Amino acid sequence: MSTGSPSILRSFSPAYTEDVAQQRALLAEIDTSCRGTLLLFFGAAVVWLLIGTVFGLTASLKLHWPNFLADTAWLTFGRVRPAHLNAVAFGFASNAALAVSLWLLCRLCRVPLMHAWVANIAGVAWNLGVAIGIAGILAGDSTGIEWLEIPGYASPLLFVSYALIAIWGVITFRFRRERRLYVSQWYLLAALFCFPWLYSVAQILLILEPVRGVVQAAVNWWFGHNVLGLWFTPIGIAAIYYFIPKVLGVPVYKYSLSLIGFWSLALFYNWNGMHHLVGGPLPAWLITVSIVASVMMTIPVVTVGLNHHFTMWGHFHKLKHSPVLRFMVFGGMSYTVTSLHGVLLSLRSVSEVTHFTHSTVAHAHTGMYAFFTMVMFGAIYYIVPRITQLAWPSARLIRIHFWASALGILLYIVPLAIGGTLQGMAMINPDVPFLAPDKYSVVTMTLPYLKVRSVSGFIILVGHLAFATSFVWIVARWLKAARHRQASPTTSHV
Amino acid sequence: MRPDMSVVWILFVSSVIVLPAVALLALRWALRNGEFKHLQKTALSIFDEEEPVGRMTDRFPDEPQGSQAHEP
Repeated sequence: MSTGSPSILRSFSPAYTEDVAQQRALLAEIDTSCRGTLLLFFGAAVVWLLIGTVFGLTASLKLHWPNFLADTAWLTFGRVRPAHLNAVAFGFASNAALAVSLWLLCRLCRVPLMHAWVANIAGVAWNLGVAIGIAGILAGDSTGIEWLEIPGYASPLLFVSYALIAIWGVITFRFRRERRLYVSQWYLLAALFCFPWLYSVAQILLILEPVRGVVQAAVNWWFGHNVLGLWFTPIGIAAIYYFIPKVLGVPVYKYSLSLIGFWSLALFYNWNGMHHLVGGPLPAWLITVSIVASVMMTIPVVTVGLNHHFTMWGHFHKLKHSPVLRFMVFGGMSYTVTSLHGVLLSLRSVSEVTHFTHSTVAHAHTGMYAFFTMVMFGAIYYIVPRITQLAWPSARLIRIHFWASALGILLYIVPLAIGGTLQGMAMINPDVPFLAPDKYSVVTMTLPYLKVRSVSGFIILVGHLAFATSFVWIVARWLKAARHRQASPTTSHV
Repeated sequence: MRPDMSVVWILFVSSVIVLPAVALLALRWALRNGEFKHLQKTALSIFDEEEPVGRMTDRFPDEPQGSQAHEP
């Protein structure tokens, strides 16, 4: 394999033409092998994204408009809010993450997706599990445990289907033709290994044989924090490490830094969860260990941040031309911000103000939306044209999507982080009442920030509708082209 | 020790010992497999003749896909 641009002499040689033709054939073979599976996962992700956005917006409206849809039991806040979380986390984000992981593994291992039907069955089962789970939550069967609200009758389906896909990822790796391991593969394999481990341990200790008391909270946040840091985060970073250099056509700034980033994340991240319980009735050493590990996370965050941002150095003008780059760079910058913000929030002195406030919600959305979701959007914009061999039908829809998502989430995060911090300061001030309709109180002072959050939710919804339209449009074009090819198989198309 | 506290110990052991141990085993494998040699070559492994260094591989669909594709 070549390791750079070919020399002029080599470009004229027949062997070079053969190399290019072989590479093109291999990439086409890989992309074609993934097509059905990826369209299934991406299609499901788009549906869950819209459902999850509507649930999120409904929950947001209810916080400053309590009578909104208040007469219907299944649309009350206590059900709609976890339905939103599970629809976006296990519906949208996990579907997108699994599809992007499979494609990246195939591309990096340089092997087609083998026996794609197995992954397809796992994909259908996963989405069936999410649908049953969310229906159960709306019906009032939520477990009440954050990030694990899906009732016990749906979670085995999720576990089995996920394990199947993870095994498929490992099999792809096992049969790799490219012996050299790129850093994205490290992250992807770690993520595929960690999620079944986290999910099964949490299910056993919280749902099947539930522990009680404060230990429940400890297990809950061990899972809740690790599912972000050891499942979504590695896949987001893996995608950025692949797509930014690939789109720019330049190698990553310092490859050695990327390895330091990966190994320090692998060693430190899983200790972090207990910082969610600062002030709680847990052994103090447990929380202190977690805070120390959270501060240690500065190492992987800074190394990953330096690498992403210095790879872009001198290339920022290209953001104007590439939609994938826009989403990836926005996501990469958000990763740095949300991670350093997370380190700050883990400190006892900060946590005693911000804990139990809207500031935590702003932080969670910086991680799951401004970082992870934007990266997944970028990856989908890169992958779908390659597997369908079609260009996106409308540049305007992509621009609307980017600006609505980017501005929408900034309008969400910044005011809510400020409002949440002020709310925390009010909560620890004994002179401020919790609820007093006519004067400054903890509840009334948050209202302007919550209303701005709902406005941002509408803007984000517009972006998601533009994205869904683009996706349906390109799939419809591909189906039309496929039908046309079937009708006249000897004619070449597209 | 109360029974529930043993769960905390299980979590502590699995998080602080088992997972880092798995990570260290993977690190050992990587070192023995020569994964940390020739890092620059590894950084270039995502490129090939079809998608070489110096070529942008993504543009808005309303922009000419070939223009400014190759850069010095």
